[in-house]
Amino acid sequence: MKLIKSIVRPNKVDDVKDALARLNISGMTVTEVRGHGKQKGHTAIYRGKEYNVSLLPKMEVEIVVPDSIVDEAIKAIVEAARTGEIGDGRVFVFPVLESYRIRTGEKES
Amino acid sequence: MSMTQPGAGAGAAARAALDAARDELRTEIARGAGGRTALEGHAARVDDLLRQLYLDAGAPERPAAVIALGGYGRRHLSLHSDIDLLVLFGGRIGPSEERFLRGFLHPLWDLGVVVGHQVRELDEFADLETDNPEFLLALLDARLVAGAVPLYERLGAMFHRPATHAYIVRSLLKLIEERHTKFNATLYQLEPDVKEAPGALRDVMAARTIASLTDPLLLRRGPADPGRFEDAEDFLLRVRSILHLEAGRNQNVLNHELQEKTADVLGYPGAQPQQRVERLMSDYFRHARTVARSLEWARRTAPVPVGPNLGLSRDGIRFLDPVQAARNPGSWIGAFQAAIDAGTEVTEEALSCIQQHVDGCRPEDFTPEARDKAALLRLLKPRPGLYARLSQMHDCGMLGRLFPEFQAISWRVVRDFYHKYTVDEHTLLTIRNFERFTNTGEPGRQRFKTIAAGIPSPELVVLSLLLHDVGKWRDDEHALESERMAVDALDRLQITGEARETVQFLIRHHLRMSLSAFRRDTEDPEIVKEFARLVGTEDRLKMLCLLTLADIEAVSPDTLTPWKEELIWRLYVDTYNQLTQGYGDELIERNQAGLIELLAGRPHDLPEAEITRFVEGLPQRYLQLFPRDAIYRHVRLARDIRPDEVHVSLDVVDGVWTLAVVTLDKPFLFSNICGVLSSFGMNILRGHALTNPNGLVCDVFQFTDDERFLALNPDAGPQVLHILQEVVSGHADVTSLLRGREQSVLQWRGTARVAPVVRADNEASGRYTILDIIAGNALGLLYRISRVISQHGCDVDLVLISTEGERAIDVFHITKAGAKLTEAEQRALTSDLQGTLEGTL
Repeated sequence: MKLIKSIVRPNKVDDVKDALARLNISGMTVTEVRGHGKQKGHTAIYRGKEYNVSLLPKMEVEIVVPDSIVDEAIKAIVEAARTGEIGDGRVFVFPVLESYRIRTGEKES
Repeated sequence: MSMTQPGAGAGAAARAALDAARDELRTEIARGAGGRTALEGHAARVDDLLRQLYLDAGAPERPAAVIALGGYGRRHLSLHSDIDLLVLFGGRIGPSEERFLRGFLHPLWDLGVVVGHQVRELDEFADLETDNPEFLLALLDARLVAGAVPLYERLGAMFHRPATHAYIVRSLLKLIEERHTKFNATLYQLEPDVKEAPGALRDVMAARTIASLTDPLLLRRGPADPGRFEDAEDFLLRVRSILHLEAGRNQNVLNHELQEKTADVLGYPGAQPQQRVERLMSDYFRHARTVARSLEWARRTAPVPVGPNLGLSRDGIRFLDPVQAARNPGSWIGAFQAAIDAGTEVTEEALSCIQQHVDGCRPEDFTPEARDKAALLRLLKPRPGLYARLSQMHDCGMLGRLFPEFQAISWRVVRDFYHKYTVDEHTLLTIRNFERFTNTGEPGRQRFKTIAAGIPSPELVVLSLLLHDVGKWRDDEHALESERMAVDALDRLQITGEARETVQFLIRHHLRMSLSAFRRDTEDPEIVKEFARLVGTEDRLKMLCLLTLADIEAVSPDTLTPWKEELIWRLYVDTYNQLTQGYGDELIERNQAGLIELLAGRPHDLPEAEITRFVEGLPQRYLQLFPRDAIYRHVRLARDIRPDEVHVSLDVVDGVWTLAVVTLDKPFLFSNICGVLSSFGMNILRGHALTNPNGLVCDVFQFTDDERFLALNPDAGPQVLHILQEVVSGHADVTSLLRGREQSVLQWRGTARVAPVVRADNEASGRYTILDIIAGNALGLLYRISRVISQHGCDVDLVLISTEGERAIDVFHITKAGAKLTEAEQRALTSDLQGTLEGTL
């Protein structure tokens, strides 16, 4: 099992969700986050005054998937979230050692 | 008492009548019965005397009335009390009226009567006499003794107004405080003044006055039953009468010597004088305590009059006369307005009254007159308490009757994953949230508070919020249904023109900003441009921004996160910049939507070609900024214009003047127009300067005439326009016109409270250098700014002028020799502008 954590543009979350649903991946955690990568934010000017917007609003989507569909899931996320511009986001993949279902205490393989 | 003979005979008869009246009163006092009944009888005898004197004086030309005031007006005329009179005339006092006064007053003086008289013309009562509260108090007891009944009634109508009553109550409370202080605020005086002391006769009158002006039933609910209060007054009057009789003058202090005599007259038992006096004084203190407690009750609980039939009491705003309120739903909105103004609530009692009588009401019953419709809009201005009062209005059933559209969503449940409240409560919460944004102290929300402060008619946002979800009574697309239903409400409230379009726009598009901010790539300039085209103007953008935030926050406590606020803010800023800086690149072209509609609705005298020639090449924003009628007016102004000509129009609506100037571009044009307006003391609030590629200029200024030059001088309008034409065509020099104003300009320089900001930008527009200027608003500010720009050889192509409070926010689109300014040119210009605004140049 792998944990796939992707940072995407806010307006791309629905596209990512739809793309993952097509792979029958419906369980996910979506979080409002702020940060920057290479994009590094910019300075907005409002009425002659500068406002520093270095931390940009992004969405974090987390899914846990079997190893067998990790590549497909990554591909789906990347294709759904891509605009081609700086600021499209990142996808991180982590190994998951164990997983338990809280309701039953059952260990999942 | 008969006094039919004028002259000496009449004087003798009057003397005899007065003596007889006094003897009669003395007899009553001497047997301990100089209380209310005896004094009323005495007052009636004096009334007869005055009526005879009135007849003997001969009628004046103007209607006249002799009116008893104060204690005499109340018929409590003691033996040696002054006779307080108002002699009122229905017009200007001339020789005939003066003759009447001599004929009426001289015999009274000859009788040795102490008369406290006021001689007035009726018109003098048009304004409240705030410097003489004692006179206003005396007027409350006004009673017609002789003369013209209609005149007396007109006085009553002019005097008995809610504002006057409210002022009198406030003044009376202050006078009581001052009077009590003189007695160390205690009624237990060894030698009490039975008129002035705490618990004495003036307090009786004060308690009655407070009750009569606020709540006629107040004293019935007080600590003393009405019978005890009446007994106390009668006792005090009897004592006072004895003091007058024994002292032979207007003596009101019950001193030790007079206490013995009073006790004897009133028949107190006891072998020793001291015993009789102790019993007298024991009774005195008992009665005085009854009066003092009743007055204290009245002071603490009386509702303060705050409007027609409205009083402010400890538990909120109540109807002074619930029966009258029940019959008049048009007065109910006033109760909620008064509650917001006073920072309190509408009492449960008043809400019950409304609830019991609201069922048969139609919307127009609440706002029968145009002023009531205006009052409803005033009620909707966002400020602390609005949500709470609207909720009360909803709970008692009035809101749904006032807005039947709202009734459709009462307790409406729409099941989705987001909303946590019924649709009506969600709607009211949006208003609470907007109210909070306008007054927030949260550091992270100051940016939105600033936006809210710049919204010119925030009540329109509240009205839009109130109606934005009424279409949710249906299960499908609700925004369009809400707009459709809102049209009826707008018709009823007679909201027309731009205000109407704004409300409809906000309702129709209330989901668009969140959609763009959260679901679109707002880093794409095209998305921002599209959104800017939708909103069209900065005012609508501000309104939609606050409406969106308020709407999201009302979904549930957790829905509007700081993250979402940031997204909304970024879209706001980018759109604002597009509207104020980037719009110059988007010009009106043939066959675009707004132009086609403009041509379709054109008046007969304007050919299509003439309109197209005028608007083509102006920024697209022009079509959104001005209503069609204004655009047609501009087109007519441009007709047959020649190089040295200036065509202008000047109108005023609600105290704000609009000057439209159409001419061909020339150096210093904008600066000269601003200079002329400043030379007449005009305060420029908003404006737009637009230039098309053919050099045709259309400048529109909105300004206030703070010195009332235009209002006070009938030929001022043509004079301003003439000077404007002279200056713009180069036949007059604006500098010399402004010389007289320089002093005030210099004064302004020393007191600027807004640190000026000047910023030049070559990125925002493809064609222009943008100058953002924020400074303290001041007379001549635009003239000084634009003059510096022109002196640097720059052309002013487009200008947006706005003011928010004391801040002026101006955006200039400029070029130099047809191109953007270089870095060096920008530095030189901004440096000079900064120096000018800081007063160092």
